[in-house]
Amino acid sequence: MASLLEDKSNRLRMTGRGGELVGAYWDELFTARERGAQVVWYNGHALNPLFQAAGISWCHGEAFSARLAAQHLEGPAQLAGEEYGYVNELCSYSRTHLGCAVLTNDFGESETGIVDTVDQRELASRLPEPDFFVNGYQGCSTGQQWDQMSYRILGKKVPIFTLSLPYMFGSKPDAGYLVGEEWETATDYVVDQLEKLIEFLEVQTGRPFDHDKLGEIMSYIKAASQLRREAMALCMAKPAPATYWDWVASIAHINFMPAEQRLIDYFQGVKDEVADRLASGVAGVADERYRLYFDGIMNWNKLGWLARKFADADAAVICGRYTHQNFWQEPQLIDPENPLRGLAQHYLLCSNSQGFKTLKQAMTKDCDDYGIDGVIFHASRTCRAYTNHQHLLARVAENQLGIPTAFFEGDIADAAFYKDEILETRLAALLETIDAKRARN
Amino acid sequence: MSAYVVGMDLGSTSAECVVIDERREIVATAVVETGTVSRKGLQRAIDEAFGEAGIERDLVRAVAATGYGRRLVPGGADFVFTEISAHARGVAALFPGVRLVVDIGGQDTKAIQVDEAGRVERFAMNDRCASGTGRFYEGLAHALETDIESLGEFASRGKADLEISSLCATFAVTEVIALLAKGHDPADIAASVHHAAAARTLGLIGQVGKASPVALTGGVARNAAVVHSLSEALGEELLIPENPQITGAYGAALLAAESLDGGSQPDQNATAPAPPHDHGGSGSCADCAGSKTESSVTMLTLTAPSGRVV
Ligand code: SF4
Repeated sequence: MASLLEDKSNRLRMTGRGGELVGAYWDELFTARERGAQVVWYNGHALNPLFQAAGISWCHGEAFSARLAAQHLEGPAQLAGEEYGYVNELCSYSRTHLGCAVLTNDFGESETGIVDTVDQRELASRLPEPDFFVNGYQGCSTGQQWDQMSYRILGKKVPIFTLSLPYMFGSKPDAGYLVGEEWETATDYVVDQLEKLIEFLEVQTGRPFDHDKLGEIMSYIKAASQLRREAMALCMAKPAPATYWDWVASIAHINFMPAEQRLIDYFQGVKDEVADRLASGVAGVADERYRLYFDGIMNWNKLGWLARKFADADAAVICGRYTHQNFWQEPQLIDPENPLRGLAQHYLLCSNSQGFKTLKQAMTKDCDDYGIDGVIFHASRTCRAYTNHQHLLARVAENQLGIPTAFFEGDIADAAFYKDEILETRLAALLETIDAKRARN
Repeated sequence: MSAYVVGMDLGSTSAECVVIDERREIVATAVVETGTVSRKGLQRAIDEAFGEAGIERDLVRAVAATGYGRRLVPGGADFVFTEISAHARGVAALFPGVRLVVDIGGQDTKAIQVDEAGRVERFAMNDRCASGTGRFYEGLAHALETDIESLGEFASRGKADLEISSLCATFAVTEVIALLAKGHDPADIAASVHHAAAARTLGLIGQVGKASPVALTGGVARNAAVVHSLSEALGEELLIPENPQITGAYGAALLAAESLDGGSQPDQNATAPAPPHDHGGSGSCADCAGSKTESSVTMLTLTAPSGRVV
């Protein structure tokens, strides 16, 4: 493996502050039982505003798996998942989280045999057992079945609610981004689903749902998202004052952290820092020579490593599908007076649930807006859903936008599927291809 | 006067070294089978190339490296290029006008579309699956109890087209063993595996788009059955360098020379070395020994059923 001599990545200072907030959130969740709070385990879309309004503590399975992977603590949970019977080709997010369910349920030393070192499994097993599950996944059958699997691991004793969410094929004649019959019909359908979910939550909590609270929560999310989008837009400047890795680092905040004034303050801090950098000519990558778009779900084991790796090659990854086409990316759709519609529409807007037409349009726009020179595709081994359209998108980039592309293999939360040499070669070749294109022009 | 540029390609199973002169013509080559990425192997390739060319090392202007072991070059390389750019450049020099390069090495397959100047336009590589690469064919040869050198000729004798469902380098061997156990002719099995692997390579080519003319390089291009199957799958004749393993090292040397000269044309007034001549694969030549300016090239003669040997 090549060693990186110099760290030329210049991550936002706010990332450190953000890390503290996320840590505090998880610590609080770990003590939910002691505080007498109810706990829901959920997967898929950002259903947390509903849980927050209902006064329930929430654990997003993917987020916890990503956190374990980012801290290189995923091993024990993945082993437990595998020993329980889930092969390593299964989505490593779900494998990790299912392993947490195994550990949480304390099948423990005697049954798993392998994962018996208490200090190793400590974090993975600290998740409080759920009072119920909610699944809200579309576009991936693993995601849809994941909570069903956890439900079985926990002995089918815990209630489960599955939200049904349509895939946005975009094939109706008038279908388009945020418009058309498919969009309107699907929105109505999901709003109806959310109303049913609220009924379920009322049964579970034994309390009437607080709709006013939900409106207030959504107003925080709307403001935070606006700040995030504005900060991102400042990176259209060359050199970019912040990079994709900074936006990856703030996914947790926008995607599942409690919506309150602190959230707005955090994103205000992010935007201010980006604006300051812009004003004083400070770049996210010391010697930005290439501006890249990143397509693919994040490789959480390698966040810092990838940031350094790309920067080392003078490549500023500016934007990407994962960060820029997910997570409350159209805040104008949120109406705190009528929050369910904005929630529903953002669930439908998840890039994992969008047909090729929309993905192509979004990538084209981002490449254009951000002055992109090349597209790097992360082909995640165990998250196939996110790789579905990648070759089609590569063709669009190459043939229609004239932008060179390259693929590298890795994974969301299983480090074994990443090989540094593969990325190194592909990245260098991509940059050489960009140089060749510049020479031609 | 420093005259030579050395290109080195340290791949997963072999090391290649090419020396070019001021006219950017090849004066020496060496190919050493290393088994794996090894500094020693690279050193041997360098020693062989220099020994054959009979040139002194202080006449070397620059060293360029490519391949997995590009950072292992003794003393460090002056230039480092990816295999993609190096192969593209090398092949474009050997076959002016080539538009698609398919390079099949020890554990990589690359499809590279190049422009008229030999610059990479787009490329695709196999992922970590080693199907259809040198390692894959080594496994096949082993399972069929033949050697890698004879595998192509052996497969060319096969007639039947058996269904091969797995092209994983590991599982294909299991499948071959199962077919042998069922009593199938080993030559038929070998031919079928070659066809299936060619179809897979076609998929990779599809990612960058087919363009003509097509050149096939890398160690696997020595396998006549691969050439035949891929040529058939593509529906066109393939250009095969006489020594298909050296294109990466040659391309690296050319790219370095071009960088040194600011992209200018070679110095046509430079002292012309004697024309390369064939050592008949023996690796030594009395005519070359001791001479500093005379050149030598180790070229292997390859005859491929559907390939044009240049
Ligand atoms: S495979 Fe990908 S989309 Fe599906 S559940 Fe796993 S992470 Fe989510």
